[in-house]
Amino acid sequence: MQNMYEVIPATIYETVKESPLIKTLRLQPEKPVPFKTGQFIELTLPGIGEAPFTPSSSHFIADNMDVTIMKTGYVTEHIHGAKAGDTVGLRGPFGSHYPLHQFEGKDLLILGGGCGLAPLRSLFLTLLDESDKYNSITFLAGAKTPKDCIYKDEATQWRKHDNVQFIRSVDEIPPGQEWDEDVCLVTKLLDKVDIEPTDNPAIVCGPPVMMKFGTLDLLKCGYKEHNIYLSMEKKMYCGCGECRHCVMGPYFACKDGPVFTYDQIKNEEAIWD
Amino acid sequence: MIIKKEDLFNFFATLTETHANPPQEIIIPAHSQWRTDDQRNFKIFKPTGADDNFTLDGYRPIFPLKNLFYITREALSTKTYEGPERIIAGVKACDLKALQLLDKALINEDFVDPSYKFWRQKTILIASDCTEVGNTCHCILVDGKPYAEQGYDINLSPLQDDTYLVHIGSDKGQALVDHFRKSYEVRDNSDETQNQVDQNRQQIIEQLQEQNRQYDRTKTYDTLKAARMDVWKQSSAECIGCGACTNICPTCYCLILNDESTDAAMFKKVRSLDSCQLHGYARVAGGASPRPKMEDRFRHRYLCKFLYMQSNFDMLGCTGCGRCSDACAAEIEFREATQKALFNENKPIESN
Repeated sequence: MQNMYEVIPATIYETVKESPLIKTLRLQPEKPVPFKTGQFIELTLPGIGEAPFTPSSSHFIADNMDVTIMKTGYVTEHIHGAKAGDTVGLRGPFGSHYPLHQFEGKDLLILGGGCGLAPLRSLFLTLLDESDKYNSITFLAGAKTPKDCIYKDEATQWRKHDNVQFIRSVDEIPPGQEWDEDVCLVTKLLDKVDIEPTDNPAIVCGPPVMMKFGTLDLLKCGYKEHNIYLSMEKKMYCGCGECRHCVMGPYFACKDGPVFTYDQIKNEEAIWD
Repeated sequence: MIIKKEDLFNFFATLTETHANPPQEIIIPAHSQWRTDDQRNFKIFKPTGADDNFTLDGYRPIFPLKNLFYITREALSTKTYEGPERIIAGVKACDLKALQLLDKALINEDFVDPSYKFWRQKTILIASDCTEVGNTCHCILVDGKPYAEQGYDINLSPLQDDTYLVHIGSDKGQALVDHFRKSYEVRDNSDETQNQVDQNRQQIIEQLQEQNRQYDRTKTYDTLKAARMDVWKQSSAECIGCGACTNICPTCYCLILNDESTDAAMFKKVRSLDSCQLHGYARVAGGASPRPKMEDRFRHRYLCKFLYMQSNFDMLGCTGCGRCSDACAAEIEFREATQKALFNENKPIESN
């Protein structure tokens, strides 16, 4: 068995500033860290600490990895200070992944906001690698303002695929910023989508409040509880169900999640907090 | 088989000389200078060798057995752990049961804690029946008994005349007993000795029943979840959120993993005990927490013990040792708070 405490050193070969608070690190691990899209890794900054992140690159790429990180606390602040050439550590991968085989032949709806786009980019790029397996892919992406919109330059490339629709919106346009796409809450974009909800999956990731209202709106549209996939964010310390910080009732967000269907966890407490 | 207490302690004292692969340590509860409220001495697991007043009898030591397997603060290594065996004697049933839970949590198909596994493999456990009842002891409320039925290598039941009835629970236990018999006389047991043991055990159970008679556990624990928040709020009113209850609990194993690397080429992870009672425990980056209030965290501990661990490991997370009540600075009685939540869930709280 893999030793859960083994740390694989990885070199940062590029950093990309996505928004004032969000950066993508491109990592070259000393040995490949193969993962399934939706799973997460623990990223260590030596001497500072460790935090969980979901890779944002396709799982078909095993020898390097993108990780998109929002500056929001002690560890992430130091990670934002890291430069190309620095060494970080990786543990994992941990947890559940998106069940791609269940998505085959379906019309997929992906709904994401803010830094929640990170795991969804991984899912999206993984799906694009085999896009003929899926009937259609609709990706709705939200950001607070045009400045906060991440993966800006990749949209043109993504929109080139035949069965792919990529729609994005911002909540507001502050003075001095430009935007020629939708201006609304990302959940409002659901009105633009014409997918038969009965048997099709919807995948949601974003800030807790967006996940909550996104899920409720999807249910209103007619999506089934077992077809709504949520990527839950809790305090995953160890990554393997030992430390208990991320328990949600009988579930561990790290081991049984982070990908849950809504019907699995709907009765647990404080899932959106 | 019946052995003399004196022989057993002599055997321990000379084991380093007589055994081909002597144990690295023999750990037995020793009386400390500190006293409980009713003027009994606390007992603490200690390595033999010093002039301490060691005993296999009485009730459980003040610190849980867990501390000897799951070290409170420890640098984790990816190398394999190595070393000779050790013996821990005077282990009580509540602590043994807790080890069963920890085994499920720390050595399973998803995860193995390397140092916990090492100590589990390298330890010979000698259990002994409780001969006294601590003020907070309540194993019988949580499907427990004041004597071990499994999980030991050897079990000792005290008899009259400073002798013990020996039960062997494993090959390791058998080997140690075989070694004992090379130098010491043993007596065969009879129906009469077994009767005496049964009587002693029954006597302790009756003491426990008497001590816990105001607590009713006929309800299923599912109702805990339905208990009104103000029940928890009242029970936790004096709680200062120090985490003593979880640190001293024999089944609590929540950990915090710190990175203490000084050199990027050598990642150093240190694991320490954490506590769900501490404010920052479940807080995520950005500041959100699923349990921001003290009563939320207080309640979480009870739900974890009686519902979540039951669901995770198919056994209760409480073994009835009562240490959490002993350790509580606010003197919150665990049995009392459980009782209130089980039975008062729908009754309005009378204000004091």
